[in-house]
Amino acid sequence: MELFKTILTVAFLTQVFRLMTPYYLGASAANFSERGGVINIAIEGFMILSAFSFAMFSIITHNTWLSVFLAIVINLVFALLYSLFTVKLKINQIVTGVGFNILIAGLTKFLMMIIFHSSSNTERFEGIQDNEFIAKIPVIGDILSDYIVLFAIILIFISNFVLFKTTFGLRLRSVGENPEAAESLGIKVHHYKIYGILISGFLASLAGIWLASEQKSFSDGMIAGRGYIALAAMIIGKWKPINIFFASLIFAFFEALQISIQISGTPIPSQIIQMLPYLITILVLVGLIGKTKPPAADGVPY
Amino acid sequence: MSGLTLKRFSIQTQANIISISLSLLTTFAITVILILCIGKNPFPIFGTMFSEVFLSGYGIGQTLFKATPLIICGCGLAFCFHAAIFNIGAEGQLNAGAFTMGLVALKLEAFPWYISIVICVIVSFGVSAFFGLIPALIKIKKSVSEVITTIMMNFIIMALINYFLVDFFAAKSTMHTEKIPENMMLLKFSTMFSFFQGSSLNICFVIALLLAFISYIVIYKTKFGYEIRAVGFNPSASKYIGISPDRIVLLTFMIGAGITSLVGLNFIMGYKGFYEYGFSNNVGFTAIAVALLARNNPIGIIFSAILFGVLDSGGLAVNEMVPKEIVLVVQGVIILTILSINTIVDKKFNLKR
Repeated sequence: MELFKTILTVAFLTQVFRLMTPYYLGASAANFSERGGVINIAIEGFMILSAFSFAMFSIITHNTWLSVFLAIVINLVFALLYSLFTVKLKINQIVTGVGFNILIAGLTKFLMMIIFHSSSNTERFEGIQDNEFIAKIPVIGDILSDYIVLFAIILIFISNFVLFKTTFGLRLRSVGENPEAAESLGIKVHHYKIYGILISGFLASLAGIWLASEQKSFSDGMIAGRGYIALAAMIIGKWKPINIFFASLIFAFFEALQISIQISGTPIPSQIIQMLPYLITILVLVGLIGKTKPPAADGVPY
Repeated sequence: MSGLTLKRFSIQTQANIISISLSLLTTFAITVILILCIGKNPFPIFGTMFSEVFLSGYGIGQTLFKATPLIICGCGLAFCFHAAIFNIGAEGQLNAGAFTMGLVALKLEAFPWYISIVICVIVSFGVSAFFGLIPALIKIKKSVSEVITTIMMNFIIMALINYFLVDFFAAKSTMHTEKIPENMMLLKFSTMFSFFQGSSLNICFVIALLLAFISYIVIYKTKFGYEIRAVGFNPSASKYIGISPDRIVLLTFMIGAGITSLVGLNFIMGYKGFYEYGFSNNVGFTAIAVALLARNNPIGIIFSAILFGVLDSGGLAVNEMVPKEIVLVVQGVIILTILSINTIVDKKFNLKR
């Protein structure tokens, strides 16, 4: 009963909207890539990479916005490398994605040992400060004063607009649905696929930066499969920005619930509570009605 | 016709040899650069690694001991990869099987050792296969990528094992199960040959080699293996030659996941005598690199597993000079170089895969 009371509070709702951010950013990241026909399993790796590089630069430079910038740049470089593999060399996208994830997980562990002499976590740092003016607005101020959360919410409209109301979006989608037809209309298929992947790298980097900024440090395994859950959110949201947002809210709700249960000190064993997000993901995927329908040429190299 | 296929086969073999050696060279070069970047001299590091790994029976024994789970797990993944199943849940699947193996073994004291080991293998194979069945069904019924579901299963399985271990089965104030009956422990190489003195290499290495040969025959020389490869190559075309892709995906996923459970034999029966939380040390992920490097050929997997065994025990040996985490970077680099160089070499040889 206590638990129901917590769920109905504003604080809980705020928590849900904040926790939605990495899922929604990750899922949108994957969506931009898949709309252009490239499956991006490397979202998880991209999030690890940006979380780590943001933490590393924050600690070294003590300049938050410079660190944000550098973390994004590093992610874009890796996104470019990813497009070299998947678009130019036409290597299987899933294998490449898994390879990237393994490389990045190893690379961050190695660099942590070299720079911070610890295999588990970095020292703490400031993180991104909230916007003071927005914070003063009652109720929604708590949610929107975080720049990245604010961006994630605006992103719902941006990505809907970009994908469905602009020439760029139309071309990107045509490349993901039928590259041959797109090519015959004079669209540079490879370019659009690469744009999609770069947008993907950018959005995923924000997800990672937000997580590191929330925790005010980087620790090994902190992304904890959120990149993959984001992919699930994209599938459940049927590759549509608004639906993806609601799917991300579902996962955020259960994560917030998990935290509340843990704090409330119920007799449910902690391991069972910790596995909730992953179990929910599987259950939601199982509960999907009918088969999922990705963009027609999704995953097919061209 | 047969002449043509023979010629084609030899070109393919040439391409394989060239691309594998180029990948290894590139990885080596990148590793050297990486070590130079952190301000260390690579040559004494490789020197120490070489002498620790190759110049003593203990070193060789430990390397082969570490290669054993990689051969086993790599073979399981080879089945999956041949059917284009991207099973990255081997880590969870093998832990589920090994955990069960450790528990079942405790109840079998009354039986002769060969019967109890067979029972253990069958039960743990079944448990691991069951955890391959779930993502397989979701893949078939909902066409949701197994990459997502297997990763989720990894987290779920590890949390469940942690729960059962802590609340029910762990030996007091440890993270491992009780010790299994002594008569079930497998023969160690060091008891037969004093050359391997002190190393944990056991008869399970031979079992792993046998498994690799059997997997090779099943994949390349049987109808079932042909069906697996046909489905992996083109699922819709395989329907027209009378294969049911769904059936093959289901079976292959279960067999592949089931095989990974044998990793438990090496650790439980061959080494410690109990299941320990975290014993697998990411073997399930490293085996992905092992299988890819060998182009999913089980015989090749023996060699690539030994190479990774060398990296693993060598990494430990040089930990003082350079953090052993460098091995993780090398693994990632190997995956990406083999992928890219394969493609480039195949293009040069006009091979399409």
